[in-house]
Amino acid sequence: METSGQLLLTVLMGAFLLGVAAFLARVEDWRSYTPLGAGGGAVGESGYGHAEKPAGLIRWLTTVDHKDIGLLYGAYATIAFVVGGLMVMLMRAELTTPATDVLGSATFYNSLLTSHGITMLFLFGTPIIAAFSNYLIPLVIGADDMAFPRINAIAFWLLPPGALLIWAGFFPIPGVIPAQTAWTMYTPLSAGVGAGNQANVGVDLMLLGLHLTGVSATMGAINFIATIFTERAEEVTWANLDIFSWTILTQSGLILFAFPLLGSALVMLLLDRNFGTTFFAVEGGGPILWQHLFWFFGHPEVYILVLPPMGIVSYVLPRFSGRKLFGFKFVVYSTLAIGVLSFGVWAHHMFATGIDPRLRASFMAVSLAIAIPSAVKTFNWITTMWNGKLRLTTPMLFCIGFVSNFIIGGVTGVFLASIPVDLVLHDTYYVVGHFHYIVMGAITFAGMAGIYYWFPLVTGRWYQRRLAKAHFWLWMIGTNVTFFAMVLLGYGGMPRRYATYLPKFATLHQIASLGALLLLVGGIIWVYNIVTSWMEGKRVESGDPWRLDETNLNTAEWDWFEAKRETSLAATDGGEEVKTDGGQESRADDE
Amino acid sequence: MATETEDAHDEGHHLPAVEDWPRGFGEASWWPFVTALGGAGIYIGAALYLMSVGERNIVGPMVGPGVLVGSIGLFLVGIYGWMYHAFVTHFWERGADEHSASKLRWGMIAFLGSEIATFSAGFTYFFFIRSQNAWAEVAADLPHLLGSLVIINTTLLIVSSVTLHFAHGAIRRNDRKKFLGWLAVTLLLGVVFIGGQVYEYYEFIVHEEFTLTSGLFGSAFYGLTGLHGLHVSMGAVLLTIVFVRALQGQYSADRHVSVTTASMYWHFVDAVWIFLVVALYVGAEVGA
Repeated sequence: METSGQLLLTVLMGAFLLGVAAFLARVEDWRSYTPLGAGGGAVGESGYGHAEKPAGLIRWLTTVDHKDIGLLYGAYATIAFVVGGLMVMLMRAELTTPATDVLGSATFYNSLLTSHGITMLFLFGTPIIAAFSNYLIPLVIGADDMAFPRINAIAFWLLPPGALLIWAGFFPIPGVIPAQTAWTMYTPLSAGVGAGNQANVGVDLMLLGLHLTGVSATMGAINFIATIFTERAEEVTWANLDIFSWTILTQSGLILFAFPLLGSALVMLLLDRNFGTTFFAVEGGGPILWQHLFWFFGHPEVYILVLPPMGIVSYVLPRFSGRKLFGFKFVVYSTLAIGVLSFGVWAHHMFATGIDPRLRASFMAVSLAIAIPSAVKTFNWITTMWNGKLRLTTPMLFCIGFVSNFIIGGVTGVFLASIPVDLVLHDTYYVVGHFHYIVMGAITFAGMAGIYYWFPLVTGRWYQRRLAKAHFWLWMIGTNVTFFAMVLLGYGGMPRRYATYLPKFATLHQIASLGALLLLVGGIIWVYNIVTSWMEGKRVESGDPWRLDETNLNTAEWDWFEAKRETSLAATDGGEEVKTDGGQESRADDE
Repeated sequence: MATETEDAHDEGHHLPAVEDWPRGFGEASWWPFVTALGGAGIYIGAALYLMSVGERNIVGPMVGPGVLVGSIGLFLVGIYGWMYHAFVTHFWERGADEHSASKLRWGMIAFLGSEIATFSAGFTYFFFIRSQNAWAEVAADLPHLLGSLVIINTTLLIVSSVTLHFAHGAIRRNDRKKFLGWLAVTLLLGVVFIGGQVYEYYEFIVHEEFTLTSGLFGSAFYGLTGLHGLHVSMGAVLLTIVFVRALQGQYSADRHVSVTTASMYWHFVDAVWIFLVVALYVGAEVGA
């Protein structure tokens, strides 16, 4: 029974990988990609010149250029997003019926559930943010590159082996099964004790892979801290540092203390599983110690994932509102406040574990308090748009979608921060609905806003607008259908993490699956749009494609873009079509 | 909002990897890729090892260790090439302004911040078991922790921090002889400390039969001292590199960033040790 689900996933993955391979085979000249529509590396200082990078595939393996590494992160995150998305589609298919009729096995469902969470948070969420920050931070702060370009490269190259280890359980290796611990990896289940099958080495491989991706994230964070502290151009002061850099700086500070602690906890768990230590054994630190350590990492992780997307929205939304970000200073202060408070809220994940009530109450207070800086941001976005000259471009739509979804995700979260409400809703679909409003409705929406907004900057071409708008509406409706149904399921008492359910929940589950289908269709349109537009989209005609100069809202990265266009146009004497078409095509796989 | 940045990009774009292999490109280097391959290989080797132990038998018993050793080799080759091209070759011609020094110092400060978190997990475990009622049982069965060895070792490490500070001061005054001398003393003290730790492990494991699997305190003791021991060894390697480069005639009053960063690391590891002795050695025995 289980094999049919496995088979289905294998076929899907196989088809996807075949597609990638077929595309790679068609690529002949990897190198001639330039961020502009013209002339590969016409000028030495462009960062894309012949003198600076070798040709072909080797260029991508050896690159230390922050823009190239940003694109690599983007490609990696996209692949992870597709994999994690296909996993959850299988789960939603299973959940259309109360019994395990579709996948045939709850065990396989549990494996998908675990991998979906880990993949989306560690292999998609963190890397897609790194894609934006790598490409853009040096440009907007006026740096030549990152502070440590080589560390930047190694941080990326540790990620693919990390993903292989995390997914290893799904590969056809005899004797290895995927982890079924859920992404929180609670002991004693994840310690492999007892009668279950979690003593299997698949869990160890996942823990090792997670540790590796954590090392990578920490290296990246160190690099961004050093970059923002020391590489700013003279005219970029702390007072006029842009909001996106502020959020990346705060996020890097959070990573610095959150990820290494998780790394140590993972090693301790590995020692418990394989070398007879007692860190999380019931007679030792116990499951509560794991939960403390895990959530000391896990809750800052939420803000690690949400702060930079908030930065993107704070950066992009004013451009299409025709005015500056309202209350800029307070958006920065609220970012810092969230960064500090985020380390004082972790035990709100543990209200139902029976920890000391006095401890519980103080965590409730801080958890409610963190709603204040979040609300400050929300009101600043709304007041920025208030009476503004709104232009409903695709990135703007995604920004507004972000604000709307963030309000629902945030308000549902405030209720969970309150102990008595949490005791009722804990471990129900309400929680799942709440955090998916944030991770899908907010974080991913902001990511999409960023991808559409900077698409002309990176490719020198336009995406197809009608497809982009279709993508937005499918996702906006799909997100709310899926996750609001989950909130209602939670009110009804549907527990999370189950492959089966009582027949009375069937209708809402089917509605949620329908919403997920809309998300899938939107996602396919997005990938199609990005790939085809990258290869043959309409060329950008000016250095200011969003006409930001009209409202005096232009920013440094577009100045860089304009300067690049001018130098490459001058170098080719205005004759644009030198060797560009093949070049454009050759790079489309990277996004 | 960030202001204009064209100037920084148009004029004198600084290329980060001029010397690296492949040579002749400013923005290409194999070293991060090679090092990542080695680093990831260490994890894959560990994974293969775990696939061979117990009743698992998924791969042969020597596959994991083989991959592990090979990967460590590759990792070291990568690090060597990287450090050589980035810092060692053309030492006197490289730009050594305050800016590049400050970014390296910030990198080390941020790294040390992350190290605090790395150590915290193990300490949290110890405080957890130390504050439980079950501690009384554990305390009845502790090995002999507070002996002359730990006092001598602690003294050695604290003195090594002081001697390293003298060495650092010497190179700031361009006093090469004293710099080399104090550096050698520091390195010697560090190596003796590591030897002392090995001896303590030997005593505990062989004579007192107190091991990693001896129960609640064993996990805390070997987890924390093991992690710290790894850090001291790493610090000794860093100081050795600095020492060898100093012997080759590198460093001056104007050029000594790696002396600074290696010192920061060494002082940090020293501070962790003091905290560890107070919490783990003294804290376990006193008031038990």
